[in-house]
Amino acid sequence: MGEGGLRDISLNQSRDDSDLLELMWMDQLAKVQVPRQTLNKLVMNYLVTEGFKEAAERFQEESGVSAEIDLNLLDNRINIRDAIQAGKMDEAISLLNDLHPTLLDENRYLLFHLQQQSLIELIREQRVEEALEFAGNHLAERGEEDSKVLQELERTLALLAFEDPFSSPFSDLLSHTHRQQVASEVNEAILKAEHADSAQSKLAASLKLLIWAQEELDKKKVRYPRMTDLAAGKFQDPK
Amino acid sequence: MVCGNMEVEVPRSTWDKLYDPQPEKVAIAVKSLKNCIIGSKKQKEQIVEQGLLARLVNLLVEPDINPRVKTNVVQIFGSISKGSELTAKSLSDAGVVKILLNGLVNTEPQLTEACLLSLVSIFDSKETSIEVIYSDPAIISHLLSLMPHSTNSSVAVCRLLTKGCESLDHQNILLNSGTPKSICEVLSSPVPVAQLCALQCLAAMVYKNENAAHVYLSTSAQGKSLMGHIVFYTGREHQEEIQLEASRILTYMYRCGVFEEDGLIVFQVLPCLVRLCKKEERVVNRILAAETLAYLIEIDVELQQIAAISNHLICTTASFLRWEPDHRQKASGMSRVQMNKLTQQLEKEADQAKQLRKAAFHVFASLSANDEEIRKRLIETEPVVQSVVGALQDSDEDVVMSAIRCLHSLSRSVQLLRTTFQDHTVWEPLMKILSSPASKVESVLVASSTLCNLLLDFSPSKEKILDSGAVELLCELTRKYDPSLRLNGVWGLMNLSFNSEQRIKSQIMTTLGTDQVFRLLSDTEIQVVMKTLGLLRNLLSNEKHHIDTITSLYGKQLMQAVVFILESENSHEVKEQALCMLANIANGDTSKKLIVDNEDVLKKLKSYMLHNNTNLQTAAVVCIQNLIWREEEGSCDRQAKLKDIGVFNILNQLKTAEDSVLKEKVKMALDQASM
Repeated sequence: MGEGGLRDISLNQSRDDSDLLELMWMDQLAKVQVPRQTLNKLVMNYLVTEGFKEAAERFQEESGVSAEIDLNLLDNRINIRDAIQAGKMDEAISLLNDLHPTLLDENRYLLFHLQQQSLIELIREQRVEEALEFAGNHLAERGEEDSKVLQELERTLALLAFEDPFSSPFSDLLSHTHRQQVASEVNEAILKAEHADSAQSKLAASLKLLIWAQEELDKKKVRYPRMTDLAAGKFQDPK
Repeated sequence: MVCGNMEVEVPRSTWDKLYDPQPEKVAIAVKSLKNCIIGSKKQKEQIVEQGLLARLVNLLVEPDINPRVKTNVVQIFGSISKGSELTAKSLSDAGVVKILLNGLVNTEPQLTEACLLSLVSIFDSKETSIEVIYSDPAIISHLLSLMPHSTNSSVAVCRLLTKGCESLDHQNILLNSGTPKSICEVLSSPVPVAQLCALQCLAAMVYKNENAAHVYLSTSAQGKSLMGHIVFYTGREHQEEIQLEASRILTYMYRCGVFEEDGLIVFQVLPCLVRLCKKEERVVNRILAAETLAYLIEIDVELQQIAAISNHLICTTASFLRWEPDHRQKASGMSRVQMNKLTQQLEKEADQAKQLRKAAFHVFASLSANDEEIRKRLIETEPVVQSVVGALQDSDEDVVMSAIRCLHSLSRSVQLLRTTFQDHTVWEPLMKILSSPASKVESVLVASSTLCNLLLDFSPSKEKILDSGAVELLCELTRKYDPSLRLNGVWGLMNLSFNSEQRIKSQIMTTLGTDQVFRLLSDTEIQVVMKTLGLLRNLLSNEKHHIDTITSLYGKQLMQAVVFILESENSHEVKEQALCMLANIANGDTSKKLIVDNEDVLKKLKSYMLHNNTNLQTAAVVCIQNLIWREEEGSCDRQAKLKDIGVFNILNQLKTAEDSVLKEKVKMALDQASM
């Protein structure tokens, strides 16, 4: 074998070599140093970005890493997020309009998602007539402006056709996860409007980089221990 | 109920509460209204239609209303301005702008900021003129004082000032109001949006304003220099838009001549602009980068040469001419609104294609202005020449203008004139532009300059141009008010007459007329006079019988012209031209009589032979030489006459002249003497 271990190894496909590869890889991985301070900062950034105020305050106390902003500024974002997660869409929109009055004029797609969620809440409470009126008054305009939303709108309105929307094929819209999705979208938009460094947490960015790097290696057909379960940090057995 | 001068019916809508006597109910109604209209174009229009603007204005103006409510009202106005041109106009008509400007001096920071942001929205519309911010000097200085309050404020003020900076006067007003320091402070912001807005503002303020450029050059704030910031922002770690604006500012300042090039332009600004022209960049950036680049290198041949070999610039720019927007899927069954949107999109793309072509022609015009090698490379690059020629007939004036400029630069190439321009009938569209009464002065000027080049004798298109009425056209130009046009007219005629046939020379004289010749000789522009004399010299050149024909028709007037110039207050250069003309007349056969029989002219010749300027002396001697040329009929008589008046004595005196050229001519003349 020549220099540059990995590349030459990939040419030989025998089982022994794969094990050797994995060992070498994990060995080198173990040698990589990530300073604690870096990890702490990543966690803090995640907490602040996602709006976990209390957790951020505690973490600040326990780890000593500074949040670098006044955590009370998070209150606005947190209130909006909480409102959305509780299904109180009118309140959420009102709060958002107080915080950033130009946002929904400039980002009609975001507005659509908020209004869509309002519609979903009406459907959830089986206020069918109100739902139809709401759809006609507000969502029709969204559909006219942007054809992208038509498909999503169709799915939402389709819920009304079912006796029991919770068991329809579109029931995912009624889940709490959907509220969560809208809340995240709003959160990101607010961060952008506040000229934050990034609307995404750096932790998310790092993971994206990991996924991308793995995809690049796959394209070049390099064999390596692939991390398949990001949340658990588990590697796949290279077969 | 009447509010202001608008009659408003009590609305039967949900907005009754806006008129409620209880302030809490009003506050709730305002909040509700705000939530209703944000995001909905229809609602904005409805509010305006229902005449609620007057009530809202009232709420702002009344002193007892809670600032929180006022803030909401201001935000409502901001939102309404984002509706349509119509709703924006209604705001303007309701006097909202003035009120918001007054609102800026409020002590409530939230309200003030809301006013700022709404003003930015309102001025975005074409319907509202931003001139109003100059109506009171306090407004500008107050805007500047608001900048440090927050990032949003700095961004808003920068946007307002950028929009409002439309003329030299504006630039100077802003300069003297303390803008330099304020902008410098904003440039220290860590927020990219603020950095970009500040840079855009600065670019607007230094464009073609040497005085402003000087001031900004030496500005600093909080220990950091403005120039330091700008150079920093050309770095590649920043967004493309920021790099572009920084490069633009440096380009403008450099063109104003406020700093010497020591590597900043060649190694930072120019490469940056070239890079931002590439396909990967957004179209708006490509256009701006190209236009800026064209301006940067416009008058500097070294920069042109560097640019021509930078990063495939020529290929990249040529690709501007072939740009097409991304293919879009056509959705079936589109609503009216969607149809409108699509139409808007298509119009926008057509405009972008046009802007790209203009920018490309500007770059090419600058690149090929001074260097023949570059011109050659350009004409070999597809589809440059055919695009330029095609664009001469474009429906858009600006595109035509940019193509003419490009053509003008290219027409300075002898090789091109002899070859390519024959293959492509460039002269046709040019003649069209020149003969159209609707053409702008600028177009006519550049087109006529180009035509002058095309009329040089070795140009194969010369004949065709003549056939389509070039002489009349050029003569017409000599009568124009604009001196540059007159110059081009006479220059064109001069080029046309060089080495040309008798019929052309006659045509010129007939069409121009001797009266016009005299007018041109008395022109206030010295260049016009010089070129007219040049024209006359050309007419009196080449073959003897040309000279004789012309002098037989216009001899008297031509002699009058010579005398006129020689007796005028003009410089030596001009008089030299007149003497050369005389020498040409002396070259003919029958025309010699005109001089020899003219006592006054002979006297003048004698005095010029003894003039202290050697060029004038030489010209006079050459004239004498032509008169006494031995081989020509009547030479003896002429020599005798000249001897009588002492010309040969003077020649003998001049034998010992210091100037070698003069000495040689004197020798040649004396050699002609048969005695």
